[in-house]
Order: sequence, then structure tokens, then C-alpha cells
Amino acid sequence: MNQQQADAMQVVMIGLGDEKFALDAGLVREIIDPVPVTKVAGARDFVPSVINVRGNVIPLADLRIRFGMPQTDSSADSRIVVIEIEIENEPVLVGVTADKVYEVTEISQADVQQTPRVGMHWKPEYIRFITKWREEFVIVPNMERILN
Amino acid sequence: MSAMDPTEIFRQEASELFEVLEGALLDLGQRPDDRELVDSAFRALHTIKGSGAMFGFDKVASFTHEFETAFDRVRKGEIKPTQELISVALAAKDYIRALIEDPQSTDDIIGEAILDDLKRFVSFDQPAAPAVQIAEAPPLVPGDSKQAGWHLYLEFESHVLRNGSNPLDLLEDLCKLGPCFVVPVTDGIPFLDEMEPEDCYLKWDVKLHAACDKDAIDDVFMFVQDEMKLTLAPLEQVEAPAPGPLFRLLDEEPAPTAETVVAVAEAAPAPVAEQPAAKAEPKTETAKAEAATEPKAEIKREAAPAKRDDVKQERGIATVRVQAERLDELMDRVGELVIAQARLTQLASSGSDLSIKMIAEEIERLASSLRDTTMGARMVPIGSLFGRFRRLVHDLSRDLSKPVEFVTTGEDTELDKTMIECLADPLVHLIRNAIDHGIEDNATRAANGKTEQGRIELAAVHSGAQVLVTVKDNGGGLNTARIRAKAEEQGLIAAGAVLTDHEIHQFLFHPGFSTAQTISALSGRGVGMDVVKRTIENMRGSIDLSTRPGQGTTVTLRLPLTLAIIEGLLIRVGEGRYIIPLPAVEECVELTAEDERSRGRNFLNVRGNLVPFLRLRDILSVDGSPDQHQKTIIISTGETQVGLVADQIIGNHQTVIKSLSKLHSDVTIFSGATILGDGTAALILDVAQLVALAQSKVEKHISEAA
Repeated sequence: MNQQQADAMQVVMIGLGDEKFALDAGLVREIIDPVPVTKVAGARDFVPSVINVRGNVIPLADLRIRFGMPQTDSSADSRIVVIEIEIENEPVLVGVTADKVYEVTEISQADVQQTPRVGMHWKPEYIRFITKWREEFVIVPNMERILN
Repeated sequence: MSAMDPTEIFRQEASELFEVLEGALLDLGQRPDDRELVDSAFRALHTIKGSGAMFGFDKVASFTHEFETAFDRVRKGEIKPTQELISVALAAKDYIRALIEDPQSTDDIIGEAILDDLKRFVSFDQPAAPAVQIAEAPPLVPGDSKQAGWHLYLEFESHVLRNGSNPLDLLEDLCKLGPCFVVPVTDGIPFLDEMEPEDCYLKWDVKLHAACDKDAIDDVFMFVQDEMKLTLAPLEQVEAPAPGPLFRLLDEEPAPTAETVVAVAEAAPAPVAEQPAAKAEPKTETAKAEAATEPKAEIKREAAPAKRDDVKQERGIATVRVQAERLDELMDRVGELVIAQARLTQLASSGSDLSIKMIAEEIERLASSLRDTTMGARMVPIGSLFGRFRRLVHDLSRDLSKPVEFVTTGEDTELDKTMIECLADPLVHLIRNAIDHGIEDNATRAANGKTEQGRIELAAVHSGAQVLVTVKDNGGGLNTARIRAKAEEQGLIAAGAVLTDHEIHQFLFHPGFSTAQTISALSGRGVGMDVVKRTIENMRGSIDLSTRPGQGTTVTLRLPLTLAIIEGLLIRVGEGRYIIPLPAVEECVELTAEDERSRGRNFLNVRGNLVPFLRLRDILSVDGSPDQHQKTIIISTGETQVGLVADQIIGNHQTVIKSLSKLHSDVTIFSGATILGDGTAALILDVAQLVALAQSKVEKHISEAA
């Protein structure tokens, strides 16, 4: 195994607003078309609703709120990415809204850019790292942090 | 999950056996002459020993063996099970449990001390010679029996070894009954290349020279009786080499015959042990029917009914041990089926195809009966839980020197297994409270003309879709004045406020509230009742207190039958649909224009009663304007009634409860979610939380008015 392969990471590339986020493919369980959502009154604003995914009621998280991005209306490209993360040592299924799902691809951790401290309106703890993919910067979010 | 840790299986099995053992021991304290109890305790011990050895818990096996040996004398009626002996036996049971559950925490010294105690009770005429187990044969009174022993013919099913039974152990057990002469019958052994290494081909011909009853022999083979043929025939007097037993009576030293037996027993393993070495694949199993001759078969049939009775008493009905997880999974699947079926029904009713409607109805019927069956499979009699408290009461009443009679009724009342688990802690609290605070000390009881022995009743009974569990004591009752004084002292109520006794008693559920003047190791710290209340409410149950001064206190827990599926009332608020658990719903009324106008008041007049109401649109922060005819659903928990104002009442809904994820654990007004016929999720309103919310609003309203 050479160095490059060891650094490669399988990701699902999703679009949110103008940004591209790379979700670790190991977390992703499935990608589904938008389904009717049920609002949960009194819930924290980044998990405003629940959805039914194959008979399980799972929370639907909106990363845009955590990253301070404006809400966009759902389009024909909108999808829900179902991921599994650990919360308090228990696996929890969470749906994440995406304006567009591009592809499953490989990014290289060798190209990791130092997360800039200035010029960013995002909380650094929500970002695992920023890397380059096809001459574009993509954000690898820290889902555990974002959802806790 | 077929590859479960065998040790874990053993632990599970052992914990059930411990319950049996403990129950039997405690019962024995009250009914020392009950042979059944002694036998059931002995059986439990024997199984623990056997499985312990099988799973490599050697310490458990050897300790239990000693325990069993001592207890054997009780079984033979040589000594009476006194209270002291029972206490030691319980300690021994605890020690075995510790050995199994957490071997590191145990100390051999404790075990030895317990064994010494045990031996002290049982060894009035028995020299401590446990090393030679053969010497523990029952004393034999020669003149007592005409019969000198038994001729046994043992034929095991070929798969007996695979199930973990070892015929040699059984032979050894048999030897303990008296001197045995064991001859292996080797004619069933196939050629080497036909031999299945894990099959048992040997049969044994045993001459047991002891005048024990047939039952004693049956006991030895109790656990394998379904997998073997046991042919018993009384041994002719002439055949007996009588010196063995007689010799033993005169002297407790092992008889010479015993050595022979050991030799024989040890010689026997050889062929069996060699079998695994031969990796052979036989195509047919050896025929074995021919071995049993006619007269022997007859005797066997005679023995069989007795055994079958035994089995019936043990098991009751045939049961299958299933992992709880699988039942949960099954319940999930059934839940999904119910949801899918609801969608089908909805589709079918909107169409006009009659045959589809018929099928939909058929499926609806099947799904609902499948649901009931599955829920039934998760039901466990509450008696399994009650059993645990007998020890608690026994220990507490000893520690506090308050003699207490503990009565349980309704043990066969069934509850969902998860509920049973959740109930254990609250009941421990309630029973402790009852003994510590409820039952007065001896002097007070005598002064009030009560019996010296206090009485605590634990009862369970079905009541509609609920199960009522009551803990009742005949102690002094709640001291309402003191609770009130304490509540005033803690600033929970204003001095002189007018409150009913019932309202005052509710302070007992307040966190950190305790009226006990002294804090004991048991209770009085003020943690407990609030935890009890919260646990019960988490199960969607409620708790009631009633008390009569000088007569005692009754705590009633009202619990729903199951946690998995409930009947719900489907309502609509704005665009969203919500479920209210139907048992909480009292009635539905229309919000009149008059109620509507008095916006500031938020009280309904329901047949003269003032009922506060909550607008669900406000609580659920729904935008837009409300429907013209608002409906009010009156819900209640315990004594409190609250109205919930919704836009529309849709109807009944079979609600499969799905829990909300951890990400929504901060949302308290919903107790869960479900999936509606059209596949969308709907939230279930938490009635207790809504009532609490309404009450706080009422209080705010009152304080603002004041």
C-alpha cells in the first residue's frame, strides 16, 4: 500500500448552497429522495424535524443552520443523506439535507489545507479539515461535533 | 446472533436458577416440611453445579458441590431446615452468585467460612471427608428394606454427549447412592471407520447395591431422562455383596467396594474418550432397540409416568428460551406491518375495487391478531419480579428487627418484559419505605394494639388496559401534619395555605423531600419517591397514594400493559398531526364561542368543573389562523384534568411507538413518534408533561392575579 492510497478517503460529495461538503462514505447508510418532514416543536434549530426512513423515525438535520448559510428551497436535486454517527456511545441514524449529491469519490488527505483561523464564519470545531478536490476547496465536516 | 458467548448463556441460566433457589429457600423458612421445596432447591443447586462445571466455572462447581452435599442431608430428612440454616444457605447462594458474576471480587476465605457454617449445621454425625465423595452414601438400615439394590440398564441416545451431558458424571452420581458395579456394554460400538466421534455408543449395565428408592435414581438422571432409556429392576437379595453398605454403617471410612467402583468408573471413560480421536464418518446409527428386552421395557413404562409428572411440575408448559432482542425485532417488524397495513387500508378505502377492499380487511384482521400474539409473547408474569423482593423483605425485617409478613398476590399478572425490568427499582424503594417508615417498631405496634408482626402486601391486578401494582403496609400511615410542616419549612407552600390531604401527600414526590427524622442506611435521604414517580411516568404510568392514620399506607402504580403499541387519538393542529394516548383521554368537547372569547382566562367550564386548557397551536408554535371550530380534548393524569385545544380530531389510531432519537432528547412534550398510514411521522404528545405545563401556567396565572 503506497502512501497515496493510505491517505485516500472515500467520501460522498454533497452540495449545500455554494459550498461542497465531503461526508465520509463510511458514515453514509443511504441516500433518499426528499420525504414529508414532521416538525418537532421545541427542538434545537439544526434538527428541526423528523422523517420516516423505512419504518424508523429519525431526526433530520440541517447543516446550513450550523454553518450559518441561508435556507434554500428544495429543488429537483435535493436529497436526504442518511448517516450513522455515535452519540453518547450509541449509533444514531440521522438524515442530512443536501441541495445536491454529486458523487462518491476519493479525496486525498495529503492535500489537507490548514483550516484558516480568519476569514471564516464557520466554527472551526465543526470542520475536520479542508482539502482540495478538482481544484476546488471542499469541507470535510465533523458530523459528531455538529450534531452534539 | 447464534454465536452468543456460552458463558453469558450460563450466567443467564444461573441467574434464573438463583431465583428459584432463593425462592425455595425462603419458602422453606416458612414451611420446613415441604418436600417439594427441598427438591426444587436441590434441583437448582444440582443444575448450577453441572452447568458450572461444563462452562469451566470450577470454583462454582466445587463450592456448589459442597453446598449440595450439605443440603443433601436436608433432602434426606436427616436434618430440619432451621432459620439459621436457611440464612447460611442464602449466604452460600450469594457467594455462588458472586463467583459466577464477578469472580475477582470473591475471596476463598468467605467461601470457606460459609462452608464451615454449613457443615456445622449438617454434620452432627458426619465426619468431614468430602474428598472421598463415594463415602457420602446414605446410611442404610439393613432390616428396613427387603430389597438389596437395583439393576440398571442405561442406554443413552447417541447425541447425548453433544448436548453437554457426560454419562460418566451420571455414573459417578449413581455411585454416590451406594456401591455400584458398572459394566460397559460394548456391543453397540461400530467399526472404527463408521464411528461418529461425538456419538455415544456405550451402554452400561449397573448393579447398584443400595436400598435407595427409585426416586433417588431418577434424580440422578433427571436432566437426561429425555435422552436415554433407563431400565430399572430390583436386584435379587442373593446377588448383593452386602458387606459394602453394612460396613459403612459401622464405620464412616470408605468401604472397600467404593474403591472398586472408582476403578470401574475410571476405566469406563477410556472407550468414550478414544472416540473423538477416531475421525470417522458412519453412515448409519447403531440400532439399539434390540437391546431392550420385553420385561425391562415394561418396568420402564412404569417409571415413565412418575418422571413425566416431574417434568410437568418443573416446566408447566413447554417453553422456548428466546433472546429478548429477537422479540424486540419481531415487535418492530410487526409494527412496520401494522403501518403498511394502515396504508393499504387507506388506499383500498379510497378506491372502488371490492376485492381489494376484502383483502385489505383480511390483512387488517391478520395484522391485528399477529400484533396481539407478538405482544403476548413479550408478556412476562410479574411473579418473576415479586420473587426478588422476598429476600429484600427478609433481610430488612431482620436488620430493622421488625417482624414482617410479606404477602404477594397476582403473581401471574402479565406485563411487558421491559416494563417488568423498569419496575424493579421503584418497587424496591416502595417496599423499603414501607418497612422502614410504614411499619412501626414493636413497642408502638404493641401500644396501638396491633399484632407484633407487620404486614406488607404486594399485589398486581389487571384493570382494563392497565395493570395496577399496589404496595400496602399496615403501619402507621402518612403523617400529614409532618409532611405539611416540612413543606412549609422548605418553602414549597405558604404557611396556612388551604390544601387537601391528597395535595399535601404529593409533596412526598418532590425531589429532596424527606420527613424521616433520622437518616438511616435504608431511606430518609429524600431521594427515592421522586425517582419512583419519574420512572413510573416514563412508563406512561401514574402513582397514587392513599393512607389512613394508624391503618397503613397503600401506594398504587397504574401501568399501561405494554410500551410498544398503544391506542391513540389522532388529532390535527395546523398542518401537523399528533397522537394523544387514548387511555389519558377523558372526553372531547367543542370549544364554545364563550370560551374562545375569554382569551385571558384559559379555563373551561366542564359541567361545573373549572378545567384549565392549553392551546396546542401555541405550544407547538403553529403559524396561521386556527380553524373555525376548535375542539378540546380533555385529558387527565390521576386527579388533574387539562383541556388541549386542537383544530381537528381525526380519530382512533393504532400507534406503534418509536422512540425519538438522542438528538431530540431535550424535547419533553413528546414521548415518542409513530408512523401514520400515509408514511409520514407523527409525534406522540406526552400527557404528563402537558399537564405539568398547564399547572405551571395556572400557578403563574394565580400569582399574577394575586
